[in-house]
Amino acid sequence: MTQSENLVKRLPNDIGGLPAEPIKQIDHALEPWEKRCHALADVLDFHKIINTEEKRCGVEALGAEMVGKLTYYERWIVAFANILFRKGLLTPAELALKMKEVEARWLGDDG
Amino acid sequence: MAQQGQSLDDHGHDHSHAEIGGSGRPGYYDMMETAVRELLVEKKLIGADEIRRQIEVLDSRTPALGAKVVARAWVDPAFRARLLANGRAACEELGISFYDDTALIVLENTDKMHNLIVCTLCSCYPRPVLGLPPDWYKAKPYRARAVSEPRKVLAEFGTIISDDVEIRVSDSTAMVRYLVLPRRPSGTESYSEEQLAALVTRDTMIGVVPASVDKGRTGQ
Repeated sequence: MTQSENLVKRLPNDIGGLPAEPIKQIDHALEPWEKRCHALADVLDFHKIINTEEKRCGVEALGAEMVGKLTYYERWIVAFANILFRKGLLTPAELALKMKEVEARWLGDDG
Repeated sequence: MAQQGQSLDDHGHDHSHAEIGGSGRPGYYDMMETAVRELLVEKKLIGADEIRRQIEVLDSRTPALGAKVVARAWVDPAFRARLLANGRAACEELGISFYDDTALIVLENTDKMHNLIVCTLCSCYPRPVLGLPPDWYKAKPYRARAVSEPRKVLAEFGTIISDDVEIRVSDSTAMVRYLVLPRRPSGTESYSEEQLAALVTRDTMIGVVPASVDKGRTGQ
């Protein structure tokens, strides 16, 4: 089997059965934003805006490099933004402007 | 987009950033989460209070709920039968609500069969009864290897399963989640249901370790 055939047969998330490193029994307490991100995922699911399967596909669609370099909840929030763009519920420009506003609020520009 | 490289060291005044929640400057993804959430609220796609309420739900889910289910199954054979027939309905009997649309299949360990749960594709997990999964459950080594070399994986958790015991690995999906019903440790005949529940850790219900009188819930 060629290497490109392997890429076709196994999407980035499909790692069951592949060789891998020994298990490191790692864990961490979620950062406040990570917990909010998890709650956001649940609420998006309740409203049938993004379901679990769409979320997983959205993470997969980030591609192997981003999946490898972003942390778990970083992948989630980027995937949510992309899915919301694709569904026409948000635009990239709206998100960029809102992120500037969030940052400005933190810097105290409006207070 | 978020001007991360810009120097912000002259942020000299003193005011509360409680809304953002951290003590330092929020990171790029933290700001992205806040921005996405606020836009969805502005567009009335989600309610302003829903995230806070769901955080309360998440905080209320810990392995203590699963432990209560397991201990009840150990002392009440009729409950155990109902639990194995329909995991979700039996948990709901004990007042554990399911906040999602998932089914729950409870897998009973016996002297002939040891069960292990995994989500090879991502991180599906019986969250209503165990809370959120540990990081190692979501990381590549466990997801990749649990299905192909479960005995080696279990050995890395210090669990040696004898060769005459079958190991069955169940791969979770978006709609179907699993919970392991560990074996009741010997020597616990006189234990109360509450004392039994204290022996049941998160990892025993994932199936990576057996329940044991030596390793109570402090051991996870």
